[in-house]
Amino acid sequence: MRTRRDLFPVEFIARYEKFIPDFDEFLEAMLTPLPRVFRVNTIKAAPEEVLPLIADLNPEPLSYLPGAYQVQDGAGLGRRLIHFLGLIYVQEAASMIPPLLLNPQPGQRVLDLAAAPGSKTTQMAAMMKNQGLLIANDLSFQRVRGLIGNVDRMGCLNVVVCRADGIVLARQLSGTCDRVLVDAPCSSEGTIRKTQEALQRWSVRGIENFSRVQKGLITAGYQALKPGGLMVYSTCTIAPEENEVVVAYLLKRFPEAEILPMELSNFQMRPALSDWNGNKFPPAVVQCRRILPQDNNTEAFFVALIRKPDDVTC
Amino acid sequence: MSPVEFLRKRFLLPEDWLNGLETCKDQETIFVGTPEVMEFNTVKPLRRGIRLCRLFTFSVKPTTFAMQVLGRAAAANRIEVDEEKAKLLINGGTIEIDAEVENGFVIIVWQRFVVGVGIYKKPVLKSCIPKFRPVD
Repeated sequence: MRTRRDLFPVEFIARYEKFIPDFDEFLEAMLTPLPRVFRVNTIKAAPEEVLPLIADLNPEPLSYLPGAYQVQDGAGLGRRLIHFLGLIYVQEAASMIPPLLLNPQPGQRVLDLAAAPGSKTTQMAAMMKNQGLLIANDLSFQRVRGLIGNVDRMGCLNVVVCRADGIVLARQLSGTCDRVLVDAPCSSEGTIRKTQEALQRWSVRGIENFSRVQKGLITAGYQALKPGGLMVYSTCTIAPEENEVVVAYLLKRFPEAEILPMELSNFQMRPALSDWNGNKFPPAVVQCRRILPQDNNTEAFFVALIRKPDDVTC
Repeated sequence: MSPVEFLRKRFLLPEDWLNGLETCKDQETIFVGTPEVMEFNTVKPLRRGIRLCRLFTFSVKPTTFAMQVLGRAAAANRIEVDEEKAKLLINGGTIEIDAEVENGFVIIVWQRFVVGVGIYKKPVLKSCIPKFRPVD
């Protein structure tokens, strides 16, 4: 008889069983479809104006995400009139966490280094009250088209869209950004609940390739920060090579970088790993957080909140 | 008259409808965004803010997405439609409606929200809303 474990590659199980707590619960959550979540676009309307328009779906507020709602039967939400009007954005709950932690403010200069398709960009534009400057970059022309489409639909007036190598762009912006989001391209293991594609593409070699790209992006993102600036590094994957290893690499390059503790009320996050494959990480790395699917009924995510000290010269 | 002033007068928008924002012209398109967006010159971006309007020889065509966010206060040349007609227009359709507006570009409104831009020639209202995924 086939078990849950048989649905995953043997190597996947062997790698993650070692450190993911409540592993069977984790596997079960990974095979359960995600609830449909959306946020109200406060650039265009307040929740009290929008919610009556979808009262038939009985949206329930998510206690840990202001302005975000869950619906039981959300099929077709993206084909509703209010979606076209840019009054809502359908976005997975865990994907809203990195901007929430970064907390960009109106008037700031913010860099979103790998922005497409624009979920977090448009969320941050709203958090900034459509003021200041949000530089949204992606390398792929096809993905940038989708990004522009979402920026238009959501009415973001504080966004410039660039198509550049993120590492090159961040270096050009060296020392100028108040906030940087590096939501890095990754092996997307955390999205298996949404689509099995990530599982079909899964390989250790793929993870190692992403890790190389991520080390370049986190370094460049840090360089783009002003002294005193904040960066969030996030992925929707589980692999330590794409998470703790990347943050440890940043700390090796820039020992002064501070990893800040994070907490969200009503939302469970677990400490990051202290070591992997026999290698111990710098102690600060455990301040990073892992979001596991069984804890909040979301995708899996990894987040690190990083500060460049005030007294660092760019 | 500038294109921005033309739009303000055509739709009777408040004097301060672009307060705190700036515009820039690129070929025959005017973009609108924050001052910081317009000043950004570290690299040449693909896009600054959003398209406000396209300039034609004899007219100024406002864009759907700019009017959705900036045109909510329009007091003239706006046509209110019900949900069914709004969907039809978003899906590229044309409707007949007897409205007290001038011929030319109009703002289409459903509830309190701007659906997009259309072109009206009494009694026909033709959608100028960009193609998007169909709305059910």
